Amino acid sequence: MYIRYLLLVFLLFNVTSCSDKKVSIYNYEGTFNSEKGGTLIDAMSGEPSNLISMIAGDSASSAISGNIFNKLIKYDKNLELAPELADKWTISGDQKTITFYLKKNLQWADGHSLTSDDVLFTWKLVTDDKTRTPYGSDYKLVDKAEALDPFTFRVNYKKAYAPALDSWASLQILPKHILKDEDINHTFFSRKPTGSSYYKLTQWINGEKLSLEASPSSVMGEPNISQLTSRFIPDTSSQFLELIADNIDLMNINPIQFARVIPSRPDLKNKLALYKELGNSYTYLGFNLKHSPFNDIKVRQAINYALDKQEVIDGVLLGLGEPVASPYKPGTRWSDKNLHPYPYDKNLALKLLHEAGFNDSNHDGILEKDGKPFTFEILTNQNKQREMTAVLIQRRLKDVGIDVKIRVIEWASFVNQFIKTGDFDAVILGWSLSLDPDQYNIWHSSQQKPGQFNFIGYNNKEVDQLLEEGRTELNPDKREKIYHAFSKILLNESPVIYLYAGYGLTAMNKRIKGIESPAPPAGIAYNSYEWFIPSTLRRNEIAP
Amino acid sequence: MLNYLIKRLLWMIPMLIGISLISFFIMHLAPGDITASESAFNPKASEESRQKLRALYNLDKPLMTQYSLWLKRIVKLDFGNSFASHQRPVLWETKDAKGNVSKGMIQDALPITLMINLIGLLVIFALSIFLGVVSAVNQNRWPDRLITIIVFVGFAIPGFWLALLLMYWTGVTHSWLPISGLHSAGYEKMSHIAQYVDLFKHLILPVSISSLGGLASISLYVRNGMLDILQQDFITTARAKGLPENKVIYGHALRNTLLPLITIIGLSIPGLIGGSVIGESIFAISGMGKLFFDAVLMRDFPVVMGILTIGSVLTLFGNLIADIGYAWADPRIRRGISN
Repeated sequence: MYIRYLLLVFLLFNVTSCSDKKVSIYNYEGTFNSEKGGTLIDAMSGEPSNLISMIAGDSASSAISGNIFNKLIKYDKNLELAPELADKWTISGDQKTITFYLKKNLQWADGHSLTSDDVLFTWKLVTDDKTRTPYGSDYKLVDKAEALDPFTFRVNYKKAYAPALDSWASLQILPKHILKDEDINHTFFSRKPTGSSYYKLTQWINGEKLSLEASPSSVMGEPNISQLTSRFIPDTSSQFLELIADNIDLMNINPIQFARVIPSRPDLKNKLALYKELGNSYTYLGFNLKHSPFNDIKVRQAINYALDKQEVIDGVLLGLGEPVASPYKPGTRWSDKNLHPYPYDKNLALKLLHEAGFNDSNHDGILEKDGKPFTFEILTNQNKQREMTAVLIQRRLKDVGIDVKIRVIEWASFVNQFIKTGDFDAVILGWSLSLDPDQYNIWHSSQQKPGQFNFIGYNNKEVDQLLEEGRTELNPDKREKIYHAFSKILLNESPVIYLYAGYGLTAMNKRIKGIESPAPPAGIAYNSYEWFIPSTLRRNEIAP
Repeated sequence: MLNYLIKRLLWMIPMLIGISLISFFIMHLAPGDITASESAFNPKASEESRQKLRALYNLDKPLMTQYSLWLKRIVKLDFGNSFASHQRPVLWETKDAKGNVSKGMIQDALPITLMINLIGLLVIFALSIFLGVVSAVNQNRWPDRLITIIVFVGFAIPGFWLALLLMYWTGVTHSWLPISGLHSAGYEKMSHIAQYVDLFKHLILPVSISSLGGLASISLYVRNGMLDILQQDFITTARAKGLPENKVIYGHALRNTLLPLITIIGLSIPGLIGGSVIGESIFAISGMGKLFFDAVLMRDFPVVMGILTIGSVLTLFGNLIADIGYAWADPRIRRGISN
């Protein structure tokens, strides 16, 4: 026993006494001019699986392939659509035809020219039934796709389809001259890609790291940082140690590291810059609307008033998040500034519950209706933040006399045994804050079959109609009105209670310069090709 | 002896089929499949395309059909391809028509795990035998007590916690050792000797952490075995005829103590291909533990079955080798088998 304590004391002593010893040799402060060169090393928790993004489903793959491939159009820093490979695009009067005009002199990294033929080829691939992609459905709505000339690509839809533009902003264009005789499901190309964007893949060691090098023939111009290396480190604590030891330059950190660990350590504060940006998803409490009493709007509103969202944000995210009032990212045009989350109001919640017929008739602290106590179960998957959120909800609902039980389930069981079968009262889950406002799959009453996404069973004719209208309207201003109206109904009816949208938190070594802060809606990475590493701040790189 | 061997080998066939059958069905009892984990909650991925993928992988067929399809491939030693989107071969590399090589997943992970476990096993046995002998010779005196405490603390301490502390201490505060991974940044450009030194430095922490837990059982085993032997008559005889104490202990007692260890070595053969998920994650080493764990979470059935099959073959062979080794070392057992 003594030995164990001695060992502990010994280790702690070493940890505390030596922590400030290593003095940074770089002078990070001052002004620097942008210059080319240098290597940025980051850490990834998962290894990319396939760099053909239409086939890969993981975020690690898309993070890498986004640096290698281009799309026709993209989202700019304010999350508005902007040109990428296409200079401009036009929409026909009946909104069924979209024509993309490609930039001239586009080139693949191997020198072949990139034309509308490649775009057509990519479209054929993603809609081919043999291609192993989960994302084909958006592109199958295209009735006819044609390459009119090397620089013009035109798609006709059977009926106007507004999310079409979003789908063309996510489809990475693949080279026809390399892939035309390949089986896309089993091709070397997924690990040895040839793209057209800023970087090209130079090295990939399984389970260890992957390196990209600036591509001289990039159609986007040359990026400042000439090499990107991603190391695969599954454990975030190890990532953090590597960051402290100056072996990696940036990583995503958690709220505790962001708000407590780094600010309290001068040596870390000195060399690490912290960035926060609004993440791409929100967490919600969703009800099974087919179960009583959640079919009663007053009950849902009462629960919404009974929950203190700021308390959840402070408790779970240490304040590093925002409440949301619509399923759209705050700061974008789709998010209506006039909508506000339900304030915390216990008395109003109680009043609404009484109106819904709930009273504590036997004075046990739990409300009853028709003799049955108001008790329900919240399900969530193994996610620390969601578990903590559930506990806070449990406590707030006990205040108004609702008894909540919490159950945490492994993801695959959660989806198969509870979500698909509709066997739940309430869930804590997240949805992404989609860039395109269309959320037909999530809220339309036709999307309730097992495996579809309206598993809460939301059914509102007006919302159905708005969603259908929004899908066929390509004019952004008109769409904005439609989706503001939709968000308003959703907020009022509270089929789900928006809890929070957390910030994405990044710690970055100060040798990386040129980062825009505060982050625009698209996040800090939108201009990563403009980031640079001043030569005085570079690591000692081993000469080849 | 030969008869015995043939009998044992033939017995393995039904055993293997039984093991694979049970693991196959248990694995499919777990809810969900690859399509659920890959794109379950992405509204852009439709249910129809998931059905399409299920059909592509034969996941829509009855379990028995799926099993017989798998069995048919496995008898030809074809472990198939992963369900993950990279579709890499499970076991060994394949070449496409243009000569592009796609490396096998087990082929990548196994050497790393084997290397760490073999070194670990060596360290464990060498240290344990040493500690066990010192303990036994000094029974109930301070070296014995100290060693017992140390090996038990090592056994009880949570590996991941100690690993992180050691990583911090040796990697961040002192920069003595690298923190994670197996190779430094410029590994490819180093000379051969520098590469070995680099690898050695990267292995110190993972191997120490993985051996720490194994010390307790084997050193105690050696200690108790040694104590038993030291009380036997032939040791008294050896001492009586005036042999130096060193010779008594290392020449006579230790050799007899080591006999049962052969069984333990045989039984640890299947363990050699299994890695620790936590250890591998913390040290960012992509070995078998992480491979298996991720495959289970993803419901990547070909990979799970591949690793289980290799594991069970090795377990059966490990048992056989343990028995044979024992017979080779101990004439009493050898005679028993022949009869």
